[in-house]
Amino acid sequence: MTMAPDTTAFIGQPHRRQNALRHLAGRGRFTTDLVLPRMVHAAFVRSPVARGQILAVDVEQASQAPGVICVLTAADLNPLCMPWVGTLDHFARMASPPQNILAETHVVWAGQPVVMVIASSRAQAEDACELVVVEIEDQEPVVDGAAALALGADTASPGLASNLCYETVLETADVDAAFAKAACVVDGEFSFGRHTAVTLEPRAVVADFDPSTGQLTVHQGTQTPYQFQDVYARHFGLNEGQVRVIAADVGGSFGMKLHVYHEEMATVAASKLLGRPVRFVADRLESFLSDIHARDHKVRARMAVDANGIITAMEVDDLTQIGAFSAYPRTSAAEGNQVIRLMGGPYRMQDYRGRLSVVFQNKVQTSQYRAVGHPIACAVTEVLVDGVAEALGQDPLDLRVRNVVPDDAYPHTSATGYQFEKLSHQACLARLRQMMGYETLRAEQALLRKTGIYRGIGIAPFIEITNPGAAFYGVGGARISAQDGAIVKLTPSGDVQCMISVTEQGQGTETIIAQIVGEQLGVSPERVKVITGDTDTTPVGGATWACRGAGIGGETALRAGRKLRDQILAIAAAVLQSEVVDLRLADASVIDAHTGAVRLSLAEIGRIATYRPDTLPSGTDNSLTAAQHYAPSGFPFAFTNGVQASHVEVDVETGLVKLLKHWVVEDCGRIINPLLVDEQIRGGVVQGLGAALFEECLYDEEGQLTNGSLAEYLVPMACEMPDIVIGHVETPTLDTILGAKGVGEAGTAAAGAAAMNAVNDALLPFKARLMQTPMTPARILAALGHV
Amino acid sequence: MELEGTQILHATPQAVWQALFDRAILEQAIPGCESLEQKSETEFAAVVRLKVGPVSARFQGEVTLTELEPFSACTLSGKGSGGIAGFAKGTARITLVAEGDVTVLSYRAEAAVGGKLAALGNRLIKATAQKLAGEFFAAFGALLPEEAGGDTGPEDAGEKRRETGGCGAVSRAGGPQIAGNGRTS
Repeated sequence: MTMAPDTTAFIGQPHRRQNALRHLAGRGRFTTDLVLPRMVHAAFVRSPVARGQILAVDVEQASQAPGVICVLTAADLNPLCMPWVGTLDHFARMASPPQNILAETHVVWAGQPVVMVIASSRAQAEDACELVVVEIEDQEPVVDGAAALALGADTASPGLASNLCYETVLETADVDAAFAKAACVVDGEFSFGRHTAVTLEPRAVVADFDPSTGQLTVHQGTQTPYQFQDVYARHFGLNEGQVRVIAADVGGSFGMKLHVYHEEMATVAASKLLGRPVRFVADRLESFLSDIHARDHKVRARMAVDANGIITAMEVDDLTQIGAFSAYPRTSAAEGNQVIRLMGGPYRMQDYRGRLSVVFQNKVQTSQYRAVGHPIACAVTEVLVDGVAEALGQDPLDLRVRNVVPDDAYPHTSATGYQFEKLSHQACLARLRQMMGYETLRAEQALLRKTGIYRGIGIAPFIEITNPGAAFYGVGGARISAQDGAIVKLTPSGDVQCMISVTEQGQGTETIIAQIVGEQLGVSPERVKVITGDTDTTPVGGATWACRGAGIGGETALRAGRKLRDQILAIAAAVLQSEVVDLRLADASVIDAHTGAVRLSLAEIGRIATYRPDTLPSGTDNSLTAAQHYAPSGFPFAFTNGVQASHVEVDVETGLVKLLKHWVVEDCGRIINPLLVDEQIRGGVVQGLGAALFEECLYDEEGQLTNGSLAEYLVPMACEMPDIVIGHVETPTLDTILGAKGVGEAGTAAAGAAAMNAVNDALLPFKARLMQTPMTPARILAALGHV
Repeated sequence: MELEGTQILHATPQAVWQALFDRAILEQAIPGCESLEQKSETEFAAVVRLKVGPVSARFQGEVTLTELEPFSACTLSGKGSGGIAGFAKGTARITLVAEGDVTVLSYRAEAAVGGKLAALGNRLIKATAQKLAGEFFAAFGALLPEEAGGDTGPEDAGEKRRETGGCGAVSRAGGPQIAGNGRTS
């Protein structure tokens, strides 16, 4: 049997983002732009101290200010809302104080909302905030995690037994023996600074409660509309079916916009109270003060190798400082939990002990942000591997080639318990070596060193968790969907629409869904309209986080597309008096599967099924809509892998680092859209380099954030970024038909580790080594002993 | 955050000392001062309107003078609340040394800010604080009675100096100090 040539393979093609033209034309639909009739604006009076007791709140004068609708305190808003607690059941003995909208008796971080002012404009609300008098007796804040754990230390929040939020130990039986018989042990003490998302569009919410129907509509810049539908329904006592969350265009999210914040809850509560739309959009200062921060880990670690230079064991102690409470509903313990489990991930290492302490302090909460835990685990592991290479006098790339799990040794389970279906470390390392011209670069480095130019090469293999099932949150009791859903329909004119639960924040989710659905139905992606981000119009699903959009959302779209394809073919077979197996869809038509001859256009199918179903044979199902849900099964996660390399030049007089070039070889399984995959990797690398070299939320000893503006907080700029060269190895997962894994966090996972190794490699002649991010010029000079 | 600086004042230490306790002079010299109330010999309550970068606020604060060594040194401590803008608190040790016919006033201040003001960033706060200190001492110097004496009131003296373009104070304030790890202390 000869098959007709496939003219409708859209998966794997470099389609441009479909919504880019709309954004370029200024037609974005961001929550920030939304104006509703009778809409009022919110601003917050925030605690100026990190820890204290509220003595008095006087809103009298503010209530009289021009334009003010009302001034709301904890007494007004908190009774409307069931408190939330950021713990999960599978984190045994985890503790976190209950949260409510506004501070009642105590404040626990500088920036915590105490009073909400609603006015006709944001400017009027801000002016009125100045007239609110809050008397707070300040108390010594808890700022240092290690000190916070000391016996008898003050607790960050009242009602806590101690500042320990969660602790766990993960170990293999023979870890101590492995260290006892090691030929060489290297160790390090690491510190990873706090940084934050700095999205182009800040957090934005417009809550619109209609008292006549009990309907709550929340327009919100979020990546997880369904999660917020559930949160608002449960915490405000509403029927879930009457809560609609709409996330139209979202100007960046990176994990920061999927947590519950006091301001969003306050906005919903105020709308419920006032029966009119209330808008809150964070200004940049508020974003720095109240968006979740990322990282803040102090890690002590050591690595054992045998006489052949094979890594045998690691021991890791991670202390992570999360702020005054654990974030809801995903907690602030998930990152540390991943840090200790991702350690040594690419390597054959047999034994391991990881200890995690999650500690409260009087700062803003930390929680999940792009590449949760990966940059920490990768940097610790890879800096130690470079330490081993130096101690043994071996080449760092060769040492890694000998230590990674061989490509033919899968399935494999790591010492920390992660299961890998199939990874490709050896192929990736080989590809990297060739792409970067490793030997030539090393020769050049040696030559330049003699002339006083200090360049460094840093290598960092990595693994990345993608396509999570229920193991992340569901098993811990969180109402966070582990599955996704799609509805695909053929319009009467033969166009296709797909309503799907995964969401779009600029990464091109909608475009890849159009490619996948288009391929199943033989319709070009431009004719597939993808609708996301509305809980009233799309099926329920987990949406976009933890690199699940392509792998899980894509598989959902594929299966929904195939379901509709089968329905279309059944109608076509009935019309054509033919067998389904003899028909195919291609070029917007039903074609003869053997000859490729066009039998019937999709438009004709649409016309008949919609306007003349009476002409179909009796009993024919005329449905041109298919709904499909999909939950991952098989491996708990679809791990991806890859390797990154960084080439830098360090000015040893000024401490300035110049990023010369960056390479990534990535295996994300089947590539749906190479253009968007590369964009994801590049964006991720830049975010990883930002944390490694520039970004840090600085606090003083009073728990005050001291760089809450873009004048003080450094984000990576285009002029500082190197060329990023990308290569691919494709190892599809066999758990799905599509075979795609995630890629959104891969760039961030290892960029910082590669950069840290590169800087340390450049500093090797000076015996200086940095284990702290960001690697600022001052810290580099300190490591060199110059300051 | 530490601030320090030195001012040369064209007056005797005695005259400078008296002016430091003179409500009327202080009220005019403090930048943005809306009111200054002397509650006792050594205690003042002030309302000051200030703009720091994008944040403007009315501070209500109290200033106390302690560790008095007449004509040579004293310590000023104060705390001000700017409502939504945050707060500022600090202490300053002021010393006066006669050098010929001028008085060298040195100050060394330890200040902390909180809330929105702190989040704006130390660089902005410190630059503003140095500017305000400069403005204060310039005005203060101008308001000092001239050593030739006479009965010229402080306001008149100020007018006169402004008319002649004279500046009673020369600022030698120290620049920001950066500590090892990139944090401003």
